[in-house]
Amino acid sequence: MPGSNAFDPASFVEEKVEEIRVLVGSGRAAIATSGGVDSTACASLAHRALGGKLICFFMDTGFMREGEVGEVVKLLSLLNLPMKVISAKDRFLKDLEGKADAEAKRLAFRQTFYTLLGEAAREEGCDVLIQGTIAPDWIETSGGIKTQHNVLEQLGVDTKKTFGFRLLEPLLDLYKDQVRALAEYLGANVEASQRQPFPGPGLLVRCIGEVNEDKVEALRVATKVVEEELGKLSPAPKQYLAAIVEDDRVPAKEGAKESVSGVLKGAKVEYFKGLATGVKGDNRAYGKMALVSGEAREPSEIFDLPEKIVHNDGEVVRVLYNIHARMPATKTGKYAVIVRSVETRDFMTVKPTHVPLKLLKRIAERVLEEDSVSRVCYDLTSKPPATVEYE
Amino acid sequence: MHIPVVFMGGQYNHLIVRALKEIGASSRIILPNTSLEALKGVDGLVMGGGPYSVYEGTEKFGNALEIIEKAQFPILGICLSHQLIGKALGGEVVKGRKPEYGKATVEVLDPDEILQGVGSEFEVWASHNDEVKWKEGARFKILAKSVYCHIEALKGIDKPVYGVQFHVEVADTPKGKDILKNFTSLCKK
Repeated sequence: MPGSNAFDPASFVEEKVEEIRVLVGSGRAAIATSGGVDSTACASLAHRALGGKLICFFMDTGFMREGEVGEVVKLLSLLNLPMKVISAKDRFLKDLEGKADAEAKRLAFRQTFYTLLGEAAREEGCDVLIQGTIAPDWIETSGGIKTQHNVLEQLGVDTKKTFGFRLLEPLLDLYKDQVRALAEYLGANVEASQRQPFPGPGLLVRCIGEVNEDKVEALRVATKVVEEELGKLSPAPKQYLAAIVEDDRVPAKEGAKESVSGVLKGAKVEYFKGLATGVKGDNRAYGKMALVSGEAREPSEIFDLPEKIVHNDGEVVRVLYNIHARMPATKTGKYAVIVRSVETRDFMTVKPTHVPLKLLKRIAERVLEEDSVSRVCYDLTSKPPATVEYE
Repeated sequence: MHIPVVFMGGQYNHLIVRALKEIGASSRIILPNTSLEALKGVDGLVMGGGPYSVYEGTEKFGNALEIIEKAQFPILGICLSHQLIGKALGGEVVKGRKPEYGKATVEVLDPDEILQGVGSEFEVWASHNDEVKWKEGARFKILAKSVYCHIEALKGIDKPVYGVQFHVEVADTPKGKDILKNFTSLCKK
C-alpha cells in the first residue's frame, strides 16, 4: 500500500543519529521528557547518538496524572538514561495564579518551564537542549491556532539568548503515527508508544479557566476513571481524556433549542461561561461550549447535534451532551467534568468516538462520587471546529 | 513525477506533501512567492488551504493568481486555493450561507476525470467560512456541491485547473487519496 516514499524508521534513525552527533559536537545535551511518545522516542534516539553525553530531565509540574511521576521515572530508567527530576509544582501554581485566558496560561507555563529547565541544564554543563517537537505542534503554532509549550524557534524565540541553550528538534517533520512507528522501532518502548497522548502542560490545558489545587485534583480523579473505563473498549479509542470547567452556565442564543428538538425530547441548550479553543477555516477560534440536555430519540443521532448548534451560533466551538447531573437539591459540587474520546490517524482531524451511552452513564456515576463535581458531559465535537485538547 | 505544494498558511498543507509521497510522487513545500519560471519542469502543482479570505485582498498569495492564469501544467487548488481558482476563472468568492466544519457530504454533479471512482455521493472533511459563487461568464464548470455549499469542486473550461472546497489530504476524507491519485494521473499525461 504505501509507496516507495513511505516512512522508514531504520533510515530515519541512521540519518538523525549522525545529524545529532555533528550538531552537539563535543558538548553535553539535555532532553526534557514527559514520558509521552514524542519525547520518549526522541530521548531514545538522542541516547543512541550521544550515549553518556545526554542527561534526561523530567519536570514535575504538578499537572501530571495520578501515579504518573513514578511511572515515568520507571519507564525512563529502563532506557538507562541519567535522569533528574525537577520538582516545581508550587512554582507553577504561583506563576499561573489568577490567569483564566487559555493563551495567557500557555505562555506563563512555557516561561516557567524553560526558565527552570535552562537553569537545571546549565548546572549540568549542557548547552544543547533536544526536544521531541513534531509536525502538528509547530503547524498549529505558526498557524496561530494555539501556542504549544514546546515550540520556540518557529516563533522567533532566540533560545540561546532567552533561556541559555541551543535547541535541537530531530522529530520536527514527523506526524504522530510516524513517531509511534519510530518508538516501536527503537525498541523497549512498546509501553511508551501505546500510552495515551498527554500534552506537556498536562492537566493544565484540560483545566478550563483559572487553575487551583482543588480543581486539578478533581480532574486528576476524573481522568483516572475515564482512562480506566474507556480503556476497556475494544478497539480502544485513539485518545480519551477528561477536562473540567466551573459548572456556571448562561442561556444559549435564541433558536438553539429549536435547532435540536428533532433529535432530543425535552431539549435544553445552555452555554458554559468558560471558553475553549477550536479551529475554524484554518483560524484559531476561542469560543463557547454549548451544553445540550435531553433524551435522544435515536442515540446515534446525538452526533448530529454539533452541526445544528454551530449553525445556529457561529461562536460555538464545542458541543457537549449532558450525561448526568446531581439533582439541584443535593448539589454540592461546583465543577462540570467533560469526557472526550476521539478517533484519528494523525490528530490533524478527529471524530468523536461513538461511546455507548450506558458506559458514559457508568463513568458519570463514578466521577460524581467526587463531591466537588456536579455534572458530567460528553464532548460530541469533531476537529474542526474543536481541537482535541481544551486550551 | 514531481508535484510541489504551495504553502498557503493552512494546517494541512504538509499533509498534502505526505499524501502525494505516499502515492509515489515526489513533492515538497514551496512558498507562494515562487515564480512561474521557477516551476519549469514540474508535472503538476497543488495549492493548499489557508486562513485568509480572497475578498480581503490577494497580496498574501504571492504569484499564485498569475500561476493559475498562465501555467500549462495541471493545478489542483484546495479550500482557500479552490476559492482563488474560482476567482481567477471569473467567479466570485463570498462568505458562505453556512460554514462547514468537520464532516460534510458531497454530491457529484459531473465526475469529470478528477472525481472518477468516488461514487455519486461521498463523505469529506471540510473547514471553511467562504465559498465560490458562480458568475455569468465564469470559465469553469461545477463538478460537485453539498447541502450548504453550491460549489464543492470545479474545473477550468479551457485548462486543466481543478478546485476542491474540502480537504482531500486529511485522513477523515476517505476518498481523498483517490482524488489525489486521479490528479496525479492527469499530471502524467
